[in-house]
Amino acid sequence: MAGTPEQTTVNQVAKLARIHLNEQQIESSAEKLAQILGYIGQLDEVELPEDVTPFFGAIESVNAIRDDQLQASVPRKEILDNAPDSDGEFYLVPPVF
Amino acid sequence: MEDSDLTSSSNPPSNDRLAVQFNDAEIIIGLEVHVQLDTISKLFCGCSTQFGEAANSQTCVVCTGMPGALPVINQRALELSIRTGIALNCSIARSTKWDRKNYFYPDLPKGYQISQFDQPICGPGHLDIEVPETPGKLRQIRIERAHLEEDAGKSIHDESSLGQDSKIDLNRTGTPLLEIVTQPDIRTAAEAKAFLSELKLILNYIDVSDCNMQQGNLRCDANVNLHIPLGDHQIATPIVEIKNLNSFRSVERSITYEAQRQFEAWQEHGLTITDAPKQTRGWNDHAQATTLQREKEDSADYRYFPDPDLIAVTIKESQIKQIQKQLVQLPTELRKTLVEQYKLNPEDAAAIVSQGRGVVDYFSEVADGCQDSRIANNWIGQEVLRQLKESNQTIQQYPLSPKQFTELLNLVIDGTLDQTRGKEVLNEMVEHSISAQQAIEQLGIKPVDKNELVSLCEKLIDENQEVVEQIRAGNGKAIGMLIGKARKINPNANPGAIKALLSKMISQ
Ligand SMILES: [Zn+2]
Repeated sequence: MAGTPEQTTVNQVAKLARIHLNEQQIESSAEKLAQILGYIGQLDEVELPEDVTPFFGAIESVNAIRDDQLQASVPRKEILDNAPDSDGEFYLVPPVF
Repeated sequence: MEDSDLTSSSNPPSNDRLAVQFNDAEIIIGLEVHVQLDTISKLFCGCSTQFGEAANSQTCVVCTGMPGALPVINQRALELSIRTGIALNCSIARSTKWDRKNYFYPDLPKGYQISQFDQPICGPGHLDIEVPETPGKLRQIRIERAHLEEDAGKSIHDESSLGQDSKIDLNRTGTPLLEIVTQPDIRTAAEAKAFLSELKLILNYIDVSDCNMQQGNLRCDANVNLHIPLGDHQIATPIVEIKNLNSFRSVERSITYEAQRQFEAWQEHGLTITDAPKQTRGWNDHAQATTLQREKEDSADYRYFPDPDLIAVTIKESQIKQIQKQLVQLPTELRKTLVEQYKLNPEDAAAIVSQGRGVVDYFSEVADGCQDSRIANNWIGQEVLRQLKESNQTIQQYPLSPKQFTELLNLVIDGTLDQTRGKEVLNEMVEHSISAQQAIEQLGIKPVDKNELVSLCEKLIDENQEVVEQIRAGNGKAIGMLIGKARKINPNANPGAIKALLSKMISQ
């Protein structure tokens, strides 16, 4: 499928996300993607001092850690009720292969 | 399953290729080992990691990936990873972070696995191994990295091929795994097995994991290909990753099989590493063959990115020092100690160490107590290990304390008990959980005095003149017959003492 680089990316991501997009959706998503990339791309123009360390999250703190201790799990019925299908013991899903 | 994807673009067989022998090829192997860390709760939530509980009884909003739930890292999982890193001579990261590895599979409820991409907790290290075939020769296998990640759940697929639903159990989801990745330094299937055995032993010694392979607590993927000399250059065959090996035997056999398969495939179509992408295969224990695994296109595109729900962990030098200080002696050091201090031969030392720290401690205490490490090794290496195996017990469950065992060995060493009676006493001690003295009383073992022994020998010589003649004629072995008869008359008679006395009396 020919198209802009953004359209190729949209196709690829849609495939990985297991979602189907029609022609029109691909086109509009590619436009939005191009806008987002352009916006984020402004960061490339910032000149950084050499000694800046990379930063991976929106929070600057580190070390939120818990002790190895048990906490009550959610009762099975309650958690299985969130699933589209179960047999009361297991989640049921369509066969993978 | 056929390798149709590989044969479709095949080159015609060439005589150059057919002239190469399998033995000329070098097997290149790298391992990825997944170890379940011994924590009571999961990596990012407080659900239990207990194996074998009712399906889906150990999950919560965090490990089932409900919107808005926030993961928090388990302190002990970090500590066990650092401990493993130190034991494997790895550099330990001062700052480590978490990334999402994105893929779809029903037993992965979040649609991503929390893993570590570019800042693993443990960096490069190495493990030295000895292959049984070449004793005394150490091979260094470099460790590339070790990173923490969460396990996925368990899928139970319908085997009837009627297209029934798959069942999913998420109890295992979020269990802490340490993935240890080696450099492709391993060269034979036996080396791969030796690496895994040594790794498993170390992880046992440092209490990082029970490595129960039946429960999947130690699993391994093997990356295998061949380097084949061809004329004045060398070619490499396409890399195959053999997935989910869960026994030492399957590791050894699958690599052996895969090397041969790759060689034959290459002879047939000549495809090299540049012609074909990495392929994933599974080990079919039934067929004793690797088979091509179906994989979805693009499945290798995991789109890693930093997990916004988790913040980085910094590790202080002082923490690493602290863990280092608490580290127990590793198998390599213990083997050395047993050889140098206790004067065992390397094979015996390795056999004791391979039984785990409990047996090593037991041995050292007994050897120190009786001041004879050779006898301690003989009795523990043979009798105790056999008894443990027969009763399916660990050394911790063994009914005799090292002290009680020492008491018995001291009686063997000072000649009160000969080997045979000693073993009878040992069995009695184990059976009734009693001391050596009590067992001796119960068996009615009494010391035989010198006069009694002399009259016993005189009687034997009188009654067995033919045998005596044979001994005089130089048949040394015949004396065994007399010793046997003596033991029948008086089981307490020490065979060594009888032999000495008989020889003396006969030669006079
Ligand atoms: Zn949970």
